[in-house]
Amino acid sequence: MGKKPLIKLEDVWKVYQLDSLKLPVLRGISLEINPGAFVTMMGPSGSGKSTLLHIIGCLDVPTKGRVFLEGQDIMELSEDDLAQIRGQRIGFVFQQFNLLHNLTAVENVMLPMIFQGVAENKRVEKAKKLLASMNLEERIFHRPSELSGGEQQRVAIARAQANDPEIIVADEPTGNLDSTTGEMIMEILIDLHKKEKKTIVVVTHDPNIAGYSEEIINIKDGQIITNHKTAEKVLWEKQ
Amino acid sequence: MGKAIKEYIKIAIRNVRTRRLRSWLTMLGVVIGIFLIMSLLSLSEGLKGAVMQQLRMMGKDIIMIMPGEITDIVSMMVGGLELTDDDIKAIKKAEGVDVVIPMTYKGIAMRCQGEKRTVLLCGIPLEESLDMLKTDMGFTLVEGRWPVPGKREIFVGYLVPEEIFSGMKTGTQITLKGKKFEVVGVLKSVGSKQDDSQVYVDLDIYREITGEREGANMAMAKVEPGYSTEEVVENIKESLDESRKRKRGEDLPSYTVISSEKMTDIVGNVMGLIQVAIFGFASIAIVVGGIGIMNTMYTSVHERTREIGIMKAVGAKNKTIILIFLIESGIFGLVGGLGGIILGLGLAKIVEIYCQAQNLFLLKASITPQLIIFGVFFSFLVGCLSGFFPARKAAKLKPVDALRYE
Repeated sequence: MGKKPLIKLEDVWKVYQLDSLKLPVLRGISLEINPGAFVTMMGPSGSGKSTLLHIIGCLDVPTKGRVFLEGQDIMELSEDDLAQIRGQRIGFVFQQFNLLHNLTAVENVMLPMIFQGVAENKRVEKAKKLLASMNLEERIFHRPSELSGGEQQRVAIARAQANDPEIIVADEPTGNLDSTTGEMIMEILIDLHKKEKKTIVVVTHDPNIAGYSEEIINIKDGQIITNHKTAEKVLWEKQ
Repeated sequence: MGKAIKEYIKIAIRNVRTRRLRSWLTMLGVVIGIFLIMSLLSLSEGLKGAVMQQLRMMGKDIIMIMPGEITDIVSMMVGGLELTDDDIKAIKKAEGVDVVIPMTYKGIAMRCQGEKRTVLLCGIPLEESLDMLKTDMGFTLVEGRWPVPGKREIFVGYLVPEEIFSGMKTGTQITLKGKKFEVVGVLKSVGSKQDDSQVYVDLDIYREITGEREGANMAMAKVEPGYSTEEVVENIKESLDESRKRKRGEDLPSYTVISSEKMTDIVGNVMGLIQVAIFGFASIAIVVGGIGIMNTMYTSVHERTREIGIMKAVGAKNKTIILIFLIESGIFGLVGGLGGIILGLGLAKIVEIYCQAQNLFLLKASITPQLIIFGVFFSFLVGCLSGFFPARKAAKLKPVDALRYE
């Protein structure tokens, strides 16, 4: 196709050092994610999929190998440069929601904008709009403890969009939710992909998301076992 | 960055308020330290000011001659050492000396309108020294006139009619050792409780009353125009040495000759040293306060590890994290400091009012904008310094590790 990948990993290794023991979590991962893709990563727990997601989201750096974001080698960047990239180009959705407990919903959504120096009136306007799009108009001044799990996750998704990032990475976003709420959250993510043209990378066990996904990466023991594009998926399923 | 700071301050204030009790206790540590520093600095500065003001009232061309070594302050102040008439003569003879006033004083019972009190009676040769007292010692009358030498007339310090014999005024008759005198003048306050409570008479009358035939507790010499003060100090020393050797065969100088300027310097230095010592001791309290802040901040960083991870994940840079934590510890310092300043200066003011009410001595609490600004900056600085290492620890956390922290 000749489409330039948005994210490219080349022989990425992540090795944790536990005393004298070396524990490789990722072992030579190479992959490309195109702009606008919807990628699902699946695998048993401890397979390294979350670590891989963190590296894709610039939250962590590999022990060995290279990671490119639009051709820029992130290994050459400082911690503050990476923070800047996370703040501007990547939005995170976590299994644990990870909202700040002493901030209200609207303040949580504004937080990424504060770090980017967005003016207050613009921040408030944007955060309210995002929360409204998540059907949370009534809840903007509530703290996380006053919100249900699904509501908290919707606040988190609103926060992930605060600075209009191109990429949204989600680490088991439905893992802590009941199936109905989980479905609603997945629909929101799918919507973001369809309507907002976001590039979405999600780690999940949920077969429904996998079904929607354009690309499914199966990971086991720190290696990619299979990497199917949707076109191939049909064939693969029939086999 | 400027706009962001405002937001970081809001975040920090919110964090301080979230853990209210701990925050108050932490700030209390700073309050105590700053309270000590402020009250002691204010009072010692006030004391220094009062002493220096008195010394400065003296002219620059005045030399004081006291019996005893200046290093032996105790015997100088309380000891019965005296300058003899020969000493006074030797001082008069020294080159460059214009006028010499021997100063003598003694506690004596005084009777006035039926009341009997002990006062410090001071004998001065009025004829020779009145001019010098007026121009160089800051003696001014608020009431009445100066006594006529030879007449049974006295003048009194400001506080004598105010506090010792209330109702006394010019024209009042008093009795000293059975002899009647008339109060003819009241001096303006010179700012020292002791000086303001003295009763002054002509030296001849003083000798008549006390029976002391000669000598003086100390003497003051005025430098003749055209001579430098330090030069005359040396001349007086030489003249005294010579006279004492000849008369009594002594060769150790047992007196102190010092210019008023030198005296001011010495006293200023001593007071300065005392202030440094006070500041040093009070600083120990502030160090304890600082350790309290550091402890609270380390606990805070530990408790908020996950929160730090979240902030980093959504784009907070390391310096942002440092800044938020420094502002937080700075708030502890600043609020604690403001409390300490208010309490410390309040105490200093209470001490001042108490001293004035009890007429202990004239102590004014020095409450200057500089002192307050110093207190504010110092406490903020203590807060920031104490928060530095915890803040750096927070900034160094890896986002992934911090997010994983339970």
